[in-house]
Amino acid sequence: MINFEEELKKFRPSLEIEDAEDIIYNQDLDDMSDVLIKLLKNAKADGQDNQKR
Amino acid sequence: MTMKCFRCGAVLDKGNICPACGADVSTYKKIISFSNKFYNDALEKANVRDMTGAINSLRESLKLDKNNIDARNLLGLIYFETGEAVAALSEWVISKNLKAEDNLADYYMDMVRNSPAQLDNINQTIKKFNIALNYCHQDGLDLAVIQLKKVLSLNPGFIKAHLLLALLYLNSGNWDRAKIECQKALKLDSGNVMAKRYLKEADSMLLPGESGKLVSDIASSDSEDVIRYNSGNEMIIQPVKKSPLTKTTSIWGIVLGAILGVAAACFLILPQRIQSINSTNQSKIAQISEESDSKSAQINDYEQQIKSLQSQIADLESRVTDYEGVDSTSAAMNSLMNATNIYLTDSSDIDGMAAALEKLDLNVISDDVSTEFTTLYDTLMSLVGTKLATSYYNTGYDAYKAEDYETAIANLAKAYQYDNSNVNTLYYLGNSYYQSGDLDNAKTTYDAVITNFPDTQSASSAQTKLAEINNSGN
Repeated sequence: MINFEEELKKFRPSLEIEDAEDIIYNQDLDDMSDVLIKLLKNAKADGQDNQKR
Repeated sequence: MTMKCFRCGAVLDKGNICPACGADVSTYKKIISFSNKFYNDALEKANVRDMTGAINSLRESLKLDKNNIDARNLLGLIYFETGEAVAALSEWVISKNLKAEDNLADYYMDMVRNSPAQLDNINQTIKKFNIALNYCHQDGLDLAVIQLKKVLSLNPGFIKAHLLLALLYLNSGNWDRAKIECQKALKLDSGNVMAKRYLKEADSMLLPGESGKLVSDIASSDSEDVIRYNSGNEMIIQPVKKSPLTKTTSIWGIVLGAILGVAAACFLILPQRIQSINSTNQSKIAQISEESDSKSAQINDYEQQIKSLQSQIADLESRVTDYEGVDSTSAAMNSLMNATNIYLTDSSDIDGMAAALEKLDLNVISDDVSTEFTTLYDTLMSLVGTKLATSYYNTGYDAYKAEDYETAIANLAKAYQYDNSNVNTLYYLGNSYYQSGDLDNAKTTYDAVITNFPDTQSASSAQTKLAEINNSGN
């Protein structure tokens, strides 16, 4: 049996034209490559810190 | 499609080392490969209108490689197809920013941009959907249904609107309608999980028909046991009932037909009949009115004739009176001449003269007689008036004594006519009136006695009699 109230919560307002700019600017565009680069940078930074110690 | 190094941006070859910076690009190439696989998967799903599955695959593809322009453009296209126009435009704008040249997003955006009416229509659709959703949160479910129907009339491909409408129908127990909306949504997006769930719910709630099939299945089939017709955006499904009460229904149908016939007679035939009767009556009334007018005119004529005749009658009556006067005057003249003749023949024949003058009353004809007549009468009276008066007085007095008051009154009145100087004549005349019961004439006569003969015994007696009459009257 479907719970109307719970189902209704799943519906979100549709995006309107006026909201388009905010959506574009706030969209998270990071992909797997960016994640990998960050991981590599972090790994390199950690290696340098260990060498300094 | 060329692949570029994630570190330096140089174009990569088939090897796993970047020829420019020497970076290991094997992992990167695998990621790009996975991204492309997701894109291909999405493409296959989109070809069978599994929009939900395609969107999920494209999102995965873009998570792996944000620069997968084809995946992003396809995602925008699918968003646009499902009614999410703003999300589609966002993807195309981002795509354009990531790859400015030779980008299919240009075509899509131009398509939308060059049709302001379509853009406005899309915007109105989205706004109305949001209003409908707002109505749902405020318990205005009926208004929400109306609003969603408007949305779907503007954009029948808006899947989210179909789903919300299906949910509202499920909530209100309109299982058939909910099922239809779910089927429409699934036709647009065959992989829509929500639509499938709602469809399952609707099917489970629908009662099985006589043939063991669901009512909704019967509706969707080409069965001749149902009548289907469209009312606006909605398909009305009306099962053809074949109940054992068919005969009863027929009887009721006949009764209903009879009632409708009577009603039709009342509302269609009777008004015309009433109108014709009214027109007939009005013509009759007009005819009667005309006749009445003519009768009134005749009555006026008759009244005028009556007045004319009455005036003629009055004229004739006056003439008759004149003639009667002439006759009476003529008779008086004859009487006077006869009496004069008797006096000239035999002056002692008082009775003859009295008989001749019997019917002559000078007071009555005084206006119609000539001066010569009056002079002759006066002369004759000076000669025989006293004798005539004495004769009448004696006769009258004898009658008074004999209590023959009628004769007494007639003779005493004549006696007083010929000689008005005898108080006894007048007094006994009054007594005769009194004794005969004619009190009015008695009073008049007694008054004359008192007035004409004051200080006489008769006057005092008349006074006493008059007092008696007055006392008896009180």
